[in-house]
Amino acid sequence: MSEAALEVRGLSKRFPVSTGVRGRRRYVHAVDDVSFTLRRGRVTALVGESGSGKSTVARLLVRLYAPTSGTILFGDRDVARDRSRRDIVRYRSQVQMIFQDPFGSLNPAKTIRHHVERPLRIHEVVRPAETDNRVHELLRTVGLVPPEHVAAKYPHQLSGGQRQRVAIARTLAVEPTVLLADEPTSMLDVSIRIGILNLMLKLKEERRIAFLYVTHDLASARYVADDILVMYAGQLVEQGPVEQVLANPLHPYTQLLLSAVPDPGTGLAAKRVEVQKGHASAAVDPPEGCRFVARCPLAIDVCSRVTPPLVEAAPGQSARCHVNAPAPAVFATAS
Amino acid sequence: MAQIQPTLDVPEAIAEPLAPIEPAVARKSRFRIPGWLRLTLRNPKARLGLAIVLGMVLLGLLAPLLIDASKATEFSFDSRQAPSLNHLFGTTDQGQDVFAQVVWGARRSLALGLLAGVIATALAVVLGVFAGYVGGVVDDLLNLVTSVFFVIPTIPLLVDVTAFLHTRGMLTMALVIACTLWAFEARILRAQALTLKNRDFIQAAKVAGESTRRIVFGELMPNMISRIAAAFVLVFYIAILVDAGLEFLGLGQMDKPSWGVALYWATVNSSMLQGEWWSFLFPGLAIGITVLGLTLVLAGIDEVSNPRLRTERGERRFLRRAA
Amino acid sequence: MIAAVEPEGTGLADWAPGEAIVELRKLVVDYGVERRTRAVDGIDLTIRVGEIVGLAGESGCGKTTVGNAIMQILRPPARITGGGVFFRGEDLAQRSRARLRRYRWQNVSMVFQSAMNALNPVTRVSEQFVDMMRAHERISRRDAEDRAGDLLELVGIDRRRIRAFPHELSGGMRQRVIIAMALALEPEVVIMDEPTTALDVVVQREILQQVQDLQRKLGFAVLFITHDLSLLIEFAHRIAIMYAGEIVESAPAATLHSNPQHPYTRGLMASFPPLTGPMERLVGIPGSPPDLADPPAGCRFHPRCPLCVPGGDAYLRQTTERPPLRRVEAGHDVACHLAGGAA
Repeated sequence: MSEAALEVRGLSKRFPVSTGVRGRRRYVHAVDDVSFTLRRGRVTALVGESGSGKSTVARLLVRLYAPTSGTILFGDRDVARDRSRRDIVRYRSQVQMIFQDPFGSLNPAKTIRHHVERPLRIHEVVRPAETDNRVHELLRTVGLVPPEHVAAKYPHQLSGGQRQRVAIARTLAVEPTVLLADEPTSMLDVSIRIGILNLMLKLKEERRIAFLYVTHDLASARYVADDILVMYAGQLVEQGPVEQVLANPLHPYTQLLLSAVPDPGTGLAAKRVEVQKGHASAAVDPPEGCRFVARCPLAIDVCSRVTPPLVEAAPGQSARCHVNAPAPAVFATAS
Repeated sequence: MAQIQPTLDVPEAIAEPLAPIEPAVARKSRFRIPGWLRLTLRNPKARLGLAIVLGMVLLGLLAPLLIDASKATEFSFDSRQAPSLNHLFGTTDQGQDVFAQVVWGARRSLALGLLAGVIATALAVVLGVFAGYVGGVVDDLLNLVTSVFFVIPTIPLLVDVTAFLHTRGMLTMALVIACTLWAFEARILRAQALTLKNRDFIQAAKVAGESTRRIVFGELMPNMISRIAAAFVLVFYIAILVDAGLEFLGLGQMDKPSWGVALYWATVNSSMLQGEWWSFLFPGLAIGITVLGLTLVLAGIDEVSNPRLRTERGERRFLRRAA
Repeated sequence: MIAAVEPEGTGLADWAPGEAIVELRKLVVDYGVERRTRAVDGIDLTIRVGEIVGLAGESGCGKTTVGNAIMQILRPPARITGGGVFFRGEDLAQRSRARLRRYRWQNVSMVFQSAMNALNPVTRVSEQFVDMMRAHERISRRDAEDRAGDLLELVGIDRRRIRAFPHELSGGMRQRVIIAMALALEPEVVIMDEPTTALDVVVQREILQQVQDLQRKLGFAVLFITHDLSLLIEFAHRIAIMYAGEIVESAPAATLHSNPQHPYTRGLMASFPPLTGPMERLVGIPGSPPDLADPPAGCRFHPRCPLCVPGGDAYLRQTTERPPLRRVEAGHDVACHLAGGAA
């Protein structure tokens, strides 16, 4: 296995919500004790529904939010503790983020050149005289040709797919080792998506970039990713190699997600999904117990009392489920 | 699935690159008129308004060529004349030429509005946008300051200040008006900055490593220009109205030609009762037309920056949604 | 309150076409005056009783305009400049304003693209139902609320939630409310424009199942507009593929899935990574859709078409001659010079 680029240990983020008249301060547990490793030249998919905390994870990793607790090991530095702007900027010269909405992530008042050029100048990647050349080279890398024409345009003159490529070129300017892609294709037309996914694959192979691919689309996760993390209500509920997890999902939530994906060939009637009410959003001060219990077809007594730990139930594959991935020690610790 | 195979065999060379992108329309100069401004200039309301305001500005600029300033203030025996070729707008009880008052008054009113607008806008941009973007304690503090200024009533303060300083000069007036109106403008801009700061392009600039100063002035501001322009125009015309209002109450600089002072004298001399409609009408019209012009400009900017107010002209926007 | 039609079997296979309710005949819609843009260019489409028709295409291909044209809510600068929309054989252009008003919502209703935000945030759900119903028929407030409660139950929401404000409902629930409103006046056709695009997969699946159940129970027809072809293949009886203002292929869902003929359709199909089975590099469709103000000559897809190569046999025709929609097999029409071996 290739070397670790970013190691996340016990990462948590709580957002305060308004307190009651005389109540204590309450918190939304947006991200709760999440651990995983991003490796060079590998794509890790982070899958979950809206509100599950998956975008928050990406924003924590790029330090747009400060973590409540946990460590983010980059090399031998814990960047979760970085506070000064200098440290954070230095970190961001290695770890970059691609935003979801290519219509919102480019400044409408600025040219494409500005967007790609600024990181080059801020991080002094190349000598000022070579900036133009490098801008063109980056645009060519992401498939925007001819770069001279593209650079002079404004965002509104490009299509969604082209804008997303600009956004990717901008992140590549600093020659990052880690790229966090927050649903980079969800706002794009289906026919354009594959192009962006292929570009990610190319970058992974040619530049050995470690990718975190945040998505709600399991099929595209299977297409680009090597490993998968499934998130539900702020917690990781399953993780492992993508083929293995999708072929044999252990957590009932992963199974539910998988069955909900449209799959040409089987009619709706052929695979009806029975879903219990409830949603995947992070909860305010969640009680002890499995967070999926209300919707779970497999729930047993212990599920609503004890939060299941992440247990390795198959080689390389772990899940948070008392039924499918029981931990021998859990009953001992609970009593 | 066998049927799909043919497309999978497409040579990589055709499949990968996007369609080439055509060059942007060639422009002669490097200067680019921002889109909102171009749209504003095409808006009929804004055009009419701008024409009116520019007409007034021209009148003010050409004042020395048109008529001697002294005729507006100095008494003469040629009093109570109805409009004629000699005195286009007639003369007052004291024989001052009303045309001279209107023309020279335009100079004062417009200069004052401009000055007040510039000062208030500068303050509002720096404090409002900055507060909105930075947030936290800075925002709370600046917001407090803004709130204090916000509740100061302009006209009583001006009455006090002019009494205290023994001066009723244009500069003083402009400064005081700006000081009381910037807070109002800052509120508007702060709200706008608050909505923009959570947009992804600001987050992306942050991730790219931009400093706060650059984000505020380089990334945020260019997207707020139309709002800032609108706020500027707003202060501009409020300043003209407040100034004229104070002078009308007799708190102006009596020895300088101005619209408000002209109206003041017209009241004092009860010109209206004596049928001298011209000494009221022309200065009043001058104020009315100028403010109307500025209001139209404001409405034009508003229509352009708020697509919901646009009707037939929103074609491009419409098209994009025509999916 | 709503006459239940006996479910006609459960599988798509048992479904047989009924009589036509809404027909588009050579419909042309233009935008703009100075720079005319033809968003819809000569489309024929028929929606029959109890049928789910899918309309798929990329953004900007004119599919939403088709929905708006059927609903007769095109606003200037958009206007119908050719052909027409026929409801039960009657040209809607001939109808008076008052009769058009009745047609909208009573005969054909619509679930809009941004339906989640279509609810007024400051009034209760009940108010919005009552207002909508009373705008169309004489009904007492109490009866309207009663019926609104029934409708909510129909889409699987507790009728007590009718007192809720929209923000108290989840995205999926709001979408159901919108669907319930679209069904309130028992329309014969419901147009759904990307109704699930903003929703998560699980919620999307729940809502689609719900729509399918209701459709079987109540017997209305659906025009389902989306960019997600994989969804339609599961859900629709018949699918029309739109590209640059034209329908380039139309076939029963199963046929389209097993035997797509137009290179664009094949490209769309090749844009979905499979969930199971072997994985290979996909190519999607290179390039981007054309500017409708200045569409390419000949076949509009030719600049992106893998089968259009300079020097190829059909190159001249592909770049100069517009391919008409031709029948290649029963119920299967394709607009491609090379389709069906008839080139």
